[in-house]
Amino acid sequence: MNLMFLAPLFLAGAAAIAIPILVHLTHRERRETVKFPSLMFLRRVPFRTVRRQRIRHWPLLLLRVAAIALVATAFARPLWDRGTIGPATLGSAREVVVLLDRSYSMGYGDRWAQASTAAHQTIDGIAPDDRVTLVLFTDHAEAVNLPTADRDALHAIVDRTRPSSAGTRFGPALELVRDILDASDLPRREAVLITDFQRHGWDAQVDVRMPEGTAITPIDVGAADASNVAVAGVLFDQSREAARPRLTLSARIVNPGPTASIGRTVRLEIEGQAVQQRTVDLPAGSAETVRFDPAPLPDRPTRGIVRLDPDDLPEDDVFRFTVSPPRPVPIVVVRHPSAPANDLLYLRQALALGSDPAFDIRVRSATQLASADLDGIGMVVLFDAPYPRGAVGRTLDRFVRDGGGLLVLLGPRTGDGMWTGETTASLGTVSGQITDRLGGRGGTVSVLDYSHPVFEPFGAPRSGDFSTARFFRYRQYEAPVGATVLARFDDGAPALVEIRVGDGAVMVWTSDATNRWNDLPLQPIFLPFVHQAARHLAGYRPRPAFHVAGRVVDIGTHLSDRPWGPRQRPDTEAELVLETPSGGRDVLGPTEAGRPVALGESGFYVVRPLAAGAGVETAVLAVNPDVAEADLERLDPEQLLGAIAPRGGGAERAASLAAALTPVEKERRQGLWWYLVGGALLLLLAETGLASRLSRLAS
Amino acid sequence: MTTRFLDPNVLGRISNLELLARTVVDGFINGLHHSPYFGLSVDFAEHRPYMPGDDIRRVDWRVFGRTDRFYVKEFEADTNANFLVLFDVSSSMQYGSGAITKLDYGRYLAACLSYFSRRQRDRVGIVTFAEDIVEFVPSSAKHLEMVLHTIDRIEAGGPGGLEAPLLKVAESVRRRSLLVLISDLYEEPDTVMRALDRLRHKGNDLIVFHLLDPAEIEFPFDETAPFEDLETAERIPVVPETLREEYRTLMRGHLGTLTERMNRSQIDYCQVDIAKPLDHVLRDYLSRRERLRRVR
Repeated sequence: MNLMFLAPLFLAGAAAIAIPILVHLTHRERRETVKFPSLMFLRRVPFRTVRRQRIRHWPLLLLRVAAIALVATAFARPLWDRGTIGPATLGSAREVVVLLDRSYSMGYGDRWAQASTAAHQTIDGIAPDDRVTLVLFTDHAEAVNLPTADRDALHAIVDRTRPSSAGTRFGPALELVRDILDASDLPRREAVLITDFQRHGWDAQVDVRMPEGTAITPIDVGAADASNVAVAGVLFDQSREAARPRLTLSARIVNPGPTASIGRTVRLEIEGQAVQQRTVDLPAGSAETVRFDPAPLPDRPTRGIVRLDPDDLPEDDVFRFTVSPPRPVPIVVVRHPSAPANDLLYLRQALALGSDPAFDIRVRSATQLASADLDGIGMVVLFDAPYPRGAVGRTLDRFVRDGGGLLVLLGPRTGDGMWTGETTASLGTVSGQITDRLGGRGGTVSVLDYSHPVFEPFGAPRSGDFSTARFFRYRQYEAPVGATVLARFDDGAPALVEIRVGDGAVMVWTSDATNRWNDLPLQPIFLPFVHQAARHLAGYRPRPAFHVAGRVVDIGTHLSDRPWGPRQRPDTEAELVLETPSGGRDVLGPTEAGRPVALGESGFYVVRPLAAGAGVETAVLAVNPDVAEADLERLDPEQLLGAIAPRGGGAERAASLAAALTPVEKERRQGLWWYLVGGALLLLLAETGLASRLSRLAS
Repeated sequence: MTTRFLDPNVLGRISNLELLARTVVDGFINGLHHSPYFGLSVDFAEHRPYMPGDDIRRVDWRVFGRTDRFYVKEFEADTNANFLVLFDVSSSMQYGSGAITKLDYGRYLAACLSYFSRRQRDRVGIVTFAEDIVEFVPSSAKHLEMVLHTIDRIEAGGPGGLEAPLLKVAESVRRRSLLVLISDLYEEPDTVMRALDRLRHKGNDLIVFHLLDPAEIEFPFDETAPFEDLETAERIPVVPETLREEYRTLMRGHLGTLTERMNRSQIDYCQVDIAKPLDHVLRDYLSRRERLRRVR
């Protein structure tokens, strides 16, 4: 055991001891001479008595010297460098992390009651020096408090906690525990894992090791023979009979447990009314699809539920969904007045086959186009027609800038006079020249931007081949600055160009769509290409019928068809109110990333504008628990513990801690400098008292 | 009331030495001595024509021989004795730890004694000396003012020494006199006694006022400092607390030796603490002298 110093240079400060010594040697030795009548007697005193023992007030000097020495030593940050660190230094305080599983499987039977009791007992067992962090985890983990020994606060947190609708993932939770324990400076570390040890929650690929010396205490609240039947999902099939949409729904029922479930009743509820019922037998480890009869679909968004007879885990016995009647996207196709009607054949047919979404095609001659034709539409197609002029042109400008889409298909009738003067700069220059490649086998599209939404579906192998189409003629087009060339011909000329204008977009296709300048309309790729371009320009985003709890979604996609909703950019709109299934209300403001919402509960979320009155049409989001959680197969706790156990044992912890402790850490733990400073202060107090007393005596 | 004015610090503010002396001396009854002569005066004043009834022994026959007229000698007054102050004005007399120095105190003392003696019809004179005689005012019935004036003009300076100047005094004083030595006596006792014995052996009555500042006796200094000899300007570093006891011992030994030797030589020796009021010193001394006179 050696005495060390973190900042030994400060020991040089001990040289200040010379100051009081000098002061005491020279103190009160006046520079001015004392005149005395005669030195005849002083001369007789032996000289040694004059020179020796000049230090006065030895106690005062010793106090001052000792105070300076203590202060200098304190600044040098002393520490005892011991080979092993005893409890006095390490202490017995524990860093405890209580991991409490609140996935919805913990709602099975009395699991949650057991888990809650175990958490309370763990909290009751903490000592005043311990620090406890409560980590609640599902498929993500959250430390709900800073490390504390406040039992009341911890008990209150446990009492408030309930199982959620999310699934189980041990990985994030264990990583959080490891980080907390790693950051701890307490000598003992402990993790208490309270869970039902669901197998699907553990990914063996996750490599999470607890810090050395961590004691892991598993508290298993699961049961080996747990059985559960759940509604895993639904499938829709919308059809029309006599112009009335009908919905055919199929529900998938799973029984992952070891026990067969016979005669389970499955009900379909629409807007809270049970409309159909089926009975299903499910052997152990099986799944069945229950098909309900087609039912008329209301002409408004509708809530639906597929409900099973409740079992010990009722959370996944209910599956919620929303279904909306199809809303065709209106498209205005502007054709040249002199163009034959059958020029539109291929485009019209391609759009008419659209089902997701359907397209409502409205053809107008360029001379007949009125501003009113652009109200409420999703997209405009200039089919070899010039850009409208006058008021209609300005309306079209505004339509695009406000988020609308414009597809310009160039052709033999669109040349130099294609654009108005105002739009030339922003939409590029269309030359009167036509590139003619009739002499050979024609050109091909050789460069495609597969990262763009229009071409993204064709990026995978065998997802569509544009190279089969031959292009014999196309307009020479000079794209404006800032435009994106999405496709080029093999000679480098642009084939498809996108230009962002305001909130909207304009796409220019430099060849035609009439099977005269190219044979693309005859290629299989034509139909999906037209649909993708129309969806993209119309700002169409499909709305999921249901979501999984625990996910974050942008609810803007659910509001595009609402009168009060955003057309394409939700952040430009007013604040919205989100009503949660449990009755909570959140006000959502627009953000850069749209309107993200964490769907933490299962049930129906309702979205409406903050300033809306009664009767406004709301948007509804159906949220269901993670179906993977329905599988209650257990993981052997020893397997998990073996995977996460620290490599070093508890006995090695102290030794490794002693070795790992830096001198700074040792010094901080020992804190000797506090005692030295305290001693110095006491000495200085005594010095003050003694000096005052001596001063009074001298005076 | 009077005592208040006799405080040395108060006396220091009185510039007129005669007034000072009168202030101090008035009220004292006893004199310093018994006159050795009776009814005779030796100080000639003037001649006056003989008047019938005059004692013919006082006719100046020399004047009659020159002028053929009878003139009678008139004398200033009757006097008893010569009174001579021997005042040490060496530099060491400049010392004073309080408001007054030994020189000032000695000055007041000399003035008072001279005035006192004059009131006894003594002839007063003064000798100031340091290493040698500085000023010499012979004793005379008319020299009081000169003596006071001399005292007033005294300035200390130079190293001191008793033997040489007192030898000269002994040689110059022909009549038996009352000699009052005012000094701090920073000499070895042997040297002091050798000088005094010469005076005493000529029949002079000798009184020694040994002026001492309280700091010279107690050595109350606390701070280490170089000490400078006022007479020689020699300096030595001194740590008072280590020297104090030895100094006091030496000083006590010195004073004891002087007292013993003076008494043995029948010299009136009076140690004067200059912090004490002057009248107290005078009264103490006169009462002691009265007792000694009865004994003698």
